[in-house]
Amino acid sequence: MLRVGIIGAGGIGTVHANCYKSIPNAKVIAVADIIPERSKKLASIFGADFYENADDVIKRKDIDVINICVPTYLHSEFVIKASNAKKHVLCEKPMALNYEDGIKMIEAASKNKVKFMIAHVLRFFPEYMKAREVINAGSVGLPKMVRTYRGGPNPAIVREWYGYHDKSGGSIQDSLIHDIDFLAWTFGPVKEVYARGNVFKRKEPFDPEYDLVMMEFENGVIAHLVSDWSGNQKTQFGAKIEIAGTKGLVEFNSFNIPLKLNLFEENKGKAESVSIPESPLSPDIEPYTREIREFLESVEKDSQIPVPAHDALYALKVALTCIESMRVNKPLEVKL
Amino acid sequence: MKIGILSCDHMHAESYVESLKRIEKVEIAGIGEENEKRGKDFAQRHGIKYFKDYEDILSDKSVDAVVICSANAKHAKMTIDSARAKKHVIVEKPIATTIEDAQRMIDACRENKVKLMVSFPVRYAPPIKRMKEIIDDGKLGEIIGISATNHGTMPGGWFTDKALSGGGSIIDHTVHVVDILRWIFKSEVKEVYAKMGTLIHDIPVEDCAIISMKFENEVFATLDASWSRPKSFPTWGDVTFEIAGTKGSMNVDAFAQHGIMYSDDIEHSKYAYWGDDMDYLMLKDFVKCIEDDLREPVTGKDGLEALRVALMAYESVKKDKVIKV
Repeated sequence: MLRVGIIGAGGIGTVHANCYKSIPNAKVIAVADIIPERSKKLASIFGADFYENADDVIKRKDIDVINICVPTYLHSEFVIKASNAKKHVLCEKPMALNYEDGIKMIEAASKNKVKFMIAHVLRFFPEYMKAREVINAGSVGLPKMVRTYRGGPNPAIVREWYGYHDKSGGSIQDSLIHDIDFLAWTFGPVKEVYARGNVFKRKEPFDPEYDLVMMEFENGVIAHLVSDWSGNQKTQFGAKIEIAGTKGLVEFNSFNIPLKLNLFEENKGKAESVSIPESPLSPDIEPYTREIREFLESVEKDSQIPVPAHDALYALKVALTCIESMRVNKPLEVKL
Repeated sequence: MKIGILSCDHMHAESYVESLKRIEKVEIAGIGEENEKRGKDFAQRHGIKYFKDYEDILSDKSVDAVVICSANAKHAKMTIDSARAKKHVIVEKPIATTIEDAQRMIDACRENKVKLMVSFPVRYAPPIKRMKEIIDDGKLGEIIGISATNHGTMPGGWFTDKALSGGGSIIDHTVHVVDILRWIFKSEVKEVYAKMGTLIHDIPVEDCAIISMKFENEVFATLDASWSRPKSFPTWGDVTFEIAGTKGSMNVDAFAQHGIMYSDDIEHSKYAYWGDDMDYLMLKDFVKCIEDDLREPVTGKDGLEALRVALMAYESVKKDKVIKV
């Protein structure tokens, strides 16, 4: 039985915590959040202890794994602390705010001989796994042109820190990094990126962000990626991927969903309809559960983690190069 | 009004002739096509007269206007010949393969006082008109960026012969979307960066391209101008826009008005399009601008500016850098 401490009881912390309900060989025994009500509420699901200070979780001797779900600008600090306390670490993406921090995190984990994985959960999404399966089966021939979309609502409307470039890096670093990691995993190293967007033009944290990235891979594949934080809370989040090859084309679109719930909400005396899309999956293939399950398996068996930390560092490098390309308005080679 | 068709190199001639038949008061003078087999088949299929030499249509004084559907590189000569014969012209896009040719076409039509319209039917698609209306009304606030696609299947034939087409998927598919964006923003493209390649088919021109552009009004946009739809794709391709603004966003698919057809005669499903016929709406407007002597709804300059962006994309690929006007 692995004993888990969760740091950060916000949106993704709650998603992760709920996954442990269907992982029998792990138990959440401690939760920390800077907002006490949040840690208390999440801890109550498991009868776990709750804390305001993350250090109190990290220093507990009876914890094997620390699951870090705090904003990006805190990742490196907590990962390094947890590693030094000899805890295995699963940390939310993106790895860090900058490349140097990413290297320090990897060094800390390897020095302390702990498993360290960045939660690039897209690799566990069944539709993206299917995309790779289709490519590997050769059904579309050699993949050549790829288009991805990710986004919808601007997360800064609900969590303001997303809207500050020095805290989240913006939508490319925070969100598009999912697609960047998936594409680099699937098609190999990136040769060149060119990005246009409004990261540096936005004035307020709540201002919409919209970025368009062109990417050329070493193997000749060309990709176009959309990173969209232009919507409000009611905008439907979605992701799409299309891969055109020498023999065919395959596309996945999360806006095609099996279930849509329509609710009538009272809003200032006016009834408004809210549409909530759902795509239900069993815990076997539910991506967040699968990701955590596979990470914990590698901890238990002392085997290779499913998303190598260097892959996450690479995705971060590519994302940072995209942002730099936007700043200098030039195509840039991805140099490590 | 009597209208002749000059060449059916371009497959759009098929739908143009059928659209012209539906317009009241329009009489079709015939098809001038030097390839006898193709020209005669075309004439027979559509029940119109065949001429081997298009000059026979131009020398007919009763002909008012011509629709030019030759290969891109032949647009200039046919347009200038038609202008000198005092025929109004609607020419298939792209207007030409060089800026110089485009300018000579514009000049010839101006000197001979005939209309010159470039075929950009997408402007006439009601979903696209509605898109412009929503943007014009300011409903999206200030536009931040646009991700557009104009995909197609690989057309083959002269489209892959650079001497006739001027290039591959870029020159074929860039001009529609650029025209729509220029039309909406009333702003010119000032910067272009492009990536292209012959990635999917064994052809001598590019079949895949992504073009990133910036307009004078600071709006940035990308366009996927690729012949990346396989033969088994349920339709010929697409024209889509995803637009992000400070007050909202919008997704537009110009050809989404379709059902899906499954037939055991073909091995894949097919879209059964049920929306408006944009070619018909465009040609009706062309006829009206001649009748009422109005300014062309899409001008030669519009055609030239759209072509300029496609040529900037090629230059960007060649020099591997961002091209600025």
